[in-house]
Amino acid sequence: MFYFIFIGDMLVMLFMIVLVVWVFTSNSDEATDKVAKIPLEDEQHHG
Amino acid sequence: MDNDKQQFYYDDVVTRLVQFSLIWAVIAMSAGIYIAAELIWPALDFGQFWLSFGRLRPLHTNGIIFGFGISALMATAFYSVQRTCHVPLFLPKLAWFCCYAWQVCILLGGLSLLAGWTSTKEYAELEWPFDIAITVIWVCFGVVFFGTIANRKIKPIYISNWFYGGLIIVIAMLHIVNNLALPVSIDKSYSLFAGAQDAVVQWWYGHNAVGFLLTGGFLGMMYYFLPKQAGQPIWSYRLSVVAFWAFTYSYIWAGPHHLHYTAIPDWVQSLAMVMSLILLAPSWATMINGIMTVSKSSEKLRDNPSLKFIVLSLAFYGLATFEGPMMAIKSVNIVSHFTDWTVGHVHSGALGWNAMITYGTFYFLVPRLVGGTLYSVRLANIHFWLALSGAILYILAMWAAGVSQGLLWLSIDELGQLSYTFNEIMASMTPYYGLRLVAGLLFFSGTVLMTFNLFMTIKGRQTVKVNPPVVLASREATA
Repeated sequence: MFYFIFIGDMLVMLFMIVLVVWVFTSNSDEATDKVAKIPLEDEQHHG
Repeated sequence: MDNDKQQFYYDDVVTRLVQFSLIWAVIAMSAGIYIAAELIWPALDFGQFWLSFGRLRPLHTNGIIFGFGISALMATAFYSVQRTCHVPLFLPKLAWFCCYAWQVCILLGGLSLLAGWTSTKEYAELEWPFDIAITVIWVCFGVVFFGTIANRKIKPIYISNWFYGGLIIVIAMLHIVNNLALPVSIDKSYSLFAGAQDAVVQWWYGHNAVGFLLTGGFLGMMYYFLPKQAGQPIWSYRLSVVAFWAFTYSYIWAGPHHLHYTAIPDWVQSLAMVMSLILLAPSWATMINGIMTVSKSSEKLRDNPSLKFIVLSLAFYGLATFEGPMMAIKSVNIVSHFTDWTVGHVHSGALGWNAMITYGTFYFLVPRLVGGTLYSVRLANIHFWLALSGAILYILAMWAAGVSQGLLWLSIDELGQLSYTFNEIMASMTPYYGLRLVAGLLFFSGTVLMTFNLFMTIKGRQTVKVNPPVVLASREATA
């Protein structure tokens, strides 16, 4: 059981590390900024 | 782009869902007030089964979670998914079906609870006919939501949609598995699970309903409406994506922390405790992301009641998501479990996080939906202080009651026997329960003020028509 939990925890850490690396390398800063601004530019006009 | 100019977002259904959500808030909180009073004056049930604590309590929880909460989440999901995809809702008539069918289902479900129909599973008390109806409506909700995303005009899927999507997928999975049962009559069924397995499945459902509905769903609301109100993009978009996946990965394991020191395997309890502690990281990352977003436009906090509610909700979110992992630690849980500390923890999330962020969103959303201004900013500010004082008083009262109960249950005399009987301990709780009733009345009165304020804002007005934006082809290509 110790190894089961130990290996499981290592897999969780690996998942988190891969996730962070992927998020920070998959898109440029410019592209990420554009996505972040989607809620600010989503209406043509408000009657 | 010519087609865009002829299209409008379908917001009528959003307005109606907001109205239903407000009505459910008043009904379900009334039930909460009543059962809080019953814990002080048990004779308030007047000998009527349908007025008893056992029947009104599930009405309170189901009304809040499924009536108030889901109606608000459907409303805000429909509102934001159109805008973040730059297209009107997919199958708007199906969205209307979701809106009305959900209300009928929860109304009849609430009446069935009063009549004594119950599966006895906490937060999943509704019997099998309602479980099937909920499944059908939920699938329709998913079709409208994911259909809108499939039709989107811009390539990226904004972070709020990831949370709403997680809500729809995970709740469907939890609801179906936990409610697998063998019906024996129209009002009675028996779970396919038994014993410890039934308990594990139930709390896999129960805790992840808290996770993906009351946390994840409302985070979707936060990630759309907080930047909108602050006039600032989210502080770190990348952090929001990391937090989403970390949250989704971690939460699903944490349910068995509700079953510490029970007949389930010890390693399952330890695993749930560890994953609960890991959850602190994505939860606080989200809170910090939200607070930092507001910090860039903090001047708006002076005169914007809706933003004040949202900032306060983030503070309570931070409190509740710190307290939860602490309570999942087995040595803490031995004191807190089966006490009012748990009730206080739940309400620091429900009142402080879920209700406050919904109130802040509604104060922002309703005037925009009908193209007017809020009927009374003064009433909204009064509501803010009633909600804040009510939530804090509630939590403090339940903390004090819960810690007292936990320590008194564990107290043994020199012969190793219990120092206090159950009745003695419960008799000493009356002052705390009195404070809880006052707190509930404060919070409830604020909710009534808001309901009046928002209905007066809507009165005599129609939902305004809003176009998707004209997006340059070059931007679409690079987005």
